[in-house]
Amino acid sequence: MSLESRLARLQSQAGAGTPAATGTASLSSLRARIAQLEAGGRTTGKHRPTPALPAAALAHRLGGECLAEGVIRIRQCVPLTDKPGALALTALHRQPRLPGESGNSLRNVYIDTETTGLSGGSGTLAFLLGVATIETDAIELTQWLITRFAAEAAALTAFAETLTATDRLVSYNGKSYDLPLLMSRFRMQGLRAPFGDLAHLDLLHPVRRLFGKRWRDCRLLSVEENLLGFRRVDDLPGSEAPAAWFDYLRRGQAEQLIRVVAHHRQDIISLAVAHAVLAQAIEQPQAFDVDLHALARWLCDSDAVRARELLQTHAGALCSDGQRLLAKLLRRAGQWSQAVALWETLAAAGCTDSIERLARYHEHISKDLGAAKRCCERLPATPAIQHRRQRIDRKIMYRTD
Amino acid sequence: MSASVETMAAAVDPAEALAARLRAQYAARITGELVIPAQQGQYVALPDGLDTRLAAALAGRGVERLYTHQAAAWESVQAGRHTVVVTPTASGKTLCYNLPVLQAALRDQARALYLFPTKALAQDQVAELMALNEAGALGVRAFTFDGDTPGDARKAVRTRGDIVVTNPDMLHQGILPHHTKWAQFFESLRYVVIDEMHSYRGVFGSHVANVLRRLQRICRFYGSDPLFILCSATIANPAELAGELINARVHAITASGAPQGAKQLLLWNPPVINPDLGIRASARSQTTRIAKQAVQRGLKSIVFAQSRLMVEVLTKYMKDAFDRDPRNPARVAAYRGGYLPSERRAMEKKLRAGELDCVVSTSALELGVDIGALDVCVLNGYPGTIAGTWQRLGRAGRRQRTALGVLVASSLPLDQYIIRNPEFFLGASPEQARIDPDQLLILLDHIRCAAFELPFRDGDVFGKENLGEMLGYLQEHGVVHREGGQWHWMDDSYPANSVSLRSVAEGNFVVIDTSGGAQTVIAEVDYSSAPETIHEGAIYMIQSAPYQVERLDWEGRKAFVTRTRADYYTDAIDYTRLKILEEEIKHHRGEGAAPTGIDDSIAGATTPPPELNDSIVGAAPSPRLGGSTPARGTAMVSRGEVHLVRRIVGYKKIRYYTHENVGYGHIDLPDQEMHTTAVWWQVNPAALDAAFESRQQALDGFLGAGYALHIVAAMRMLSEPRDIGRAVGDGNAEWFATVGVNGRGQMRNTDGEAVDPLALPRFTPTLFLYDNYPGGIGISAPLFDNRAAVVTAAQALVGACECAQGCPSCIGPILASDEVRGYSPRALALRVLGLLAHHES
Repeated sequence: MSLESRLARLQSQAGAGTPAATGTASLSSLRARIAQLEAGGRTTGKHRPTPALPAAALAHRLGGECLAEGVIRIRQCVPLTDKPGALALTALHRQPRLPGESGNSLRNVYIDTETTGLSGGSGTLAFLLGVATIETDAIELTQWLITRFAAEAAALTAFAETLTATDRLVSYNGKSYDLPLLMSRFRMQGLRAPFGDLAHLDLLHPVRRLFGKRWRDCRLLSVEENLLGFRRVDDLPGSEAPAAWFDYLRRGQAEQLIRVVAHHRQDIISLAVAHAVLAQAIEQPQAFDVDLHALARWLCDSDAVRARELLQTHAGALCSDGQRLLAKLLRRAGQWSQAVALWETLAAAGCTDSIERLARYHEHISKDLGAAKRCCERLPATPAIQHRRQRIDRKIMYRTD
Repeated sequence: MSASVETMAAAVDPAEALAARLRAQYAARITGELVIPAQQGQYVALPDGLDTRLAAALAGRGVERLYTHQAAAWESVQAGRHTVVVTPTASGKTLCYNLPVLQAALRDQARALYLFPTKALAQDQVAELMALNEAGALGVRAFTFDGDTPGDARKAVRTRGDIVVTNPDMLHQGILPHHTKWAQFFESLRYVVIDEMHSYRGVFGSHVANVLRRLQRICRFYGSDPLFILCSATIANPAELAGELINARVHAITASGAPQGAKQLLLWNPPVINPDLGIRASARSQTTRIAKQAVQRGLKSIVFAQSRLMVEVLTKYMKDAFDRDPRNPARVAAYRGGYLPSERRAMEKKLRAGELDCVVSTSALELGVDIGALDVCVLNGYPGTIAGTWQRLGRAGRRQRTALGVLVASSLPLDQYIIRNPEFFLGASPEQARIDPDQLLILLDHIRCAAFELPFRDGDVFGKENLGEMLGYLQEHGVVHREGGQWHWMDDSYPANSVSLRSVAEGNFVVIDTSGGAQTVIAEVDYSSAPETIHEGAIYMIQSAPYQVERLDWEGRKAFVTRTRADYYTDAIDYTRLKILEEEIKHHRGEGAAPTGIDDSIAGATTPPPELNDSIVGAAPSPRLGGSTPARGTAMVSRGEVHLVRRIVGYKKIRYYTHENVGYGHIDLPDQEMHTTAVWWQVNPAALDAAFESRQQALDGFLGAGYALHIVAAMRMLSEPRDIGRAVGDGNAEWFATVGVNGRGQMRNTDGEAVDPLALPRFTPTLFLYDNYPGGIGISAPLFDNRAAVVTAAQALVGACECAQGCPSCIGPILASDEVRGYSPRALALRVLGLLAHHES
């Protein structure tokens, strides 16, 4: 009996036959089995496979060129205009700047990958790599698609060659996912990774910061819909990308893979536009329904004045954390009466931190020691508070007025 | 011993005095004794090449010279040999590996990977390494890396850890599939340390051997070739097991140079309190009595129990005696595995300082933790293996005084066997740890995982099967893709997540406790054992606590159980139709093995079952036997491949102790089919005829003998009873025998209909013991090699049993309703075993 039949037999005997039991019955492997059956001549008629598309023809379909054996490079120049039905690109004319960034002399390189799985382990690779930079009037976008495993090293090398030391990578969830995966792939191929010291801006984090509480999720698709006002048409879901690539490798079926390339291209463009629009949203938070408190928190260190103004214009709608932040900013700016008003409101609601702030204010600023003492009395008797009380009492005792 | 002599002895050595007292008072309960004289330490100076910083660190910990075995390990490792150290508990095994590892870390910044079976042990090892590290300001960093390691700490462990301490599951799922993140570590990996090696046996050991194969493969990718240092408890074949685990020759160090105080060991069987039913007093009652005496004499004691439940019970009894007054500090404490590390440290500290008099523990304290020296160790129930027993007994031992160990048997068959056959326990270890790294399903699983880790190349080797064919099978299932002589992983799944190191393939059932409305997973059961043990209505024991299966979701692989107080246990009735496919070796009693003329390795056509005709006895060889020498004995033993179909049709409910049949339940579950390996025995029909009055009696005898052989086989092969299946049939799937509802042997045909034994022209019952996993698990071959010892042991088990007709401790439950058969099933089983063992016809 062949090894194969022995294995099949033993597997079913060990109870590995039922779908519930087989944890690894992933979509792509099931597809592969169907493909196998069909390739074996038992076609169902409905799904008769088209003949395999060789790499050169695929490159042609994609508008790209065969770089090296198995590497297809697609270069596109997308003008910065607003076309109806497409994403508005004029926003990219301005260099986007986020809070805390000084005048950037680094070039933004937008980067995204399509991979064969989500686990990030050594069995996952990036079959599609993409970078984009913003030139004067256009987005220059380059994608590398590999059509065989053996082409990976060449693709990685070609990709690495486009990066320079003055680049800053911009990605979406790239810090946790794409970059570590690429590092792993360079290592597997015995190549040196080019990322070493490059700066990296992962837009997922600011998006989450400013919109995390307002949106259902922070996927790139949600950014497109909620922030960019753009809805894709006839897009292939990212989860089907691995299967599309596997299908091309196994049977040369390219239709789905072509859609993956389009999906990937849109991802990179959206990433670039999101960067620009995010910067706009920070300048005009009302227009973009930004979480003001979160934005103010972010701006605290780099632009305290703006942070304060933001909170002040919406003082009425702030939660207690927001009010405390505003009070802190007012205090720093020396606007005492407003700060005190806020603290008193918060204190009335039971916020002990605010009561302590009032105590400090009265002790050192207004010099109303009686009020300071009264505040202390409302606080729990921690050693610090007791120390303060004693000091106030001393001051009262030695007052010369 | 007179009172005054006793007092003198007590003044000299209290543990000895206690031993003497127990012997005097309870002589009838003590079935065996062993006195181990004190052993002097054998020392050697610190090795020449030892780094001075390391020598200073050792001095800081009070170590100025090494035991001989520690020095021997050093030499062996410096000479570049894989080494396994097989010395008793508390003999300083850790220095055998810590020294070479620290030396290499200091000199060459080389790294090491430590594998421990439990997290607690891993944490303790790191603590010990850190202590050495601090004593000498060595600057070596050791970290644990397991499921509890927080995300942000993981990167630090990977890049800066000199010694990484983990467990096989983490290595399998968390480290190897992400090896690129560990590149620096693997590049400079010099040593791999594997402790508690003997626990890597059976299914688990077969998996671990494959995880190590993957590890070695990845090391090769990074250009390293680490040396393995293993530690094991005493088993019969440590070097062999080590060699199979790492696929290389291993040098074994077995002589211990550590000093040991004198030890006395008593084997204790509780007295029979109901002779008619053969019921004994509980082990607990005996243990409590002995432990109380020990504590009263001021002896520091540890009591090991088999389950958490029993720990609670014993602790309560001891506290009732000694911790009456809550104002006084507690003298008795319970130690369970679920404690936080801080709680464990506190208790260990108390023990070391002598503030506690008695600790009651599960096996959690079995492994390496330093708890200081104790005087008395009492084992409440046999731990299941001889190796494990000695490990626990090793807890008691002082330099200048005698230590006492007492093994108290429970009523379980294994316990009774051990306690009544002290030579088995006290002689050289008969326990063989076996693995089957090329078990087809296990190998396939790991080839899958390995393909995810690194692509395979044509010509690569992984295991003994044809790798190309295995990869071809995986390609058909759509997970690998062959391109230009390389096999790449091509799937979006993560294979290691669906491979459990403790089961064969994915059919495992999960047992969910629904008591109190919650849903907690409390156990896992193999697909093969599921119908028999967790059918609806079954009473299933987990940690000695009974649960009842309320619902079994076959497709979903889940069993829902609740705690129960039922006063009965369940015994499934199985119909197993077994057919011999291929016989590999045949042995006729009284002479050497006779090959059947079929090559071992060739998959042959099915052969009709070899039957011994009357004419064979003393006659010319039958042509079917392939020209072998004439058979003269009464029995024939074979091993080979079998195909079986097993159906569990129902179960009996049997009341504890009285063995009344209190009900029957119907079971309707899918048949299970299996191709596996087996050992089988047959008796010459003429001899069978002569020995038994009726075929019915012979059948009962075979069933009883099979039960006993099963118990003994599992014990010798260091397996769980569920790893081995047993069946009685004709070997050609025409009829099989089963114990019916009434407790008697029944013959049935393939359709399950009853067959009258007398109606058959030919009656050659065959007794099978098979590996209970599809494809086998490596038990049959060594079992066949040990067949003589196994039959002899079964005879001893049944012969020495004190029950009247038979009981679950020897040949299986004999129902109360069945007591008057007119013959003793136990005697019949003995007769069959005698035929299997005897040489004369």
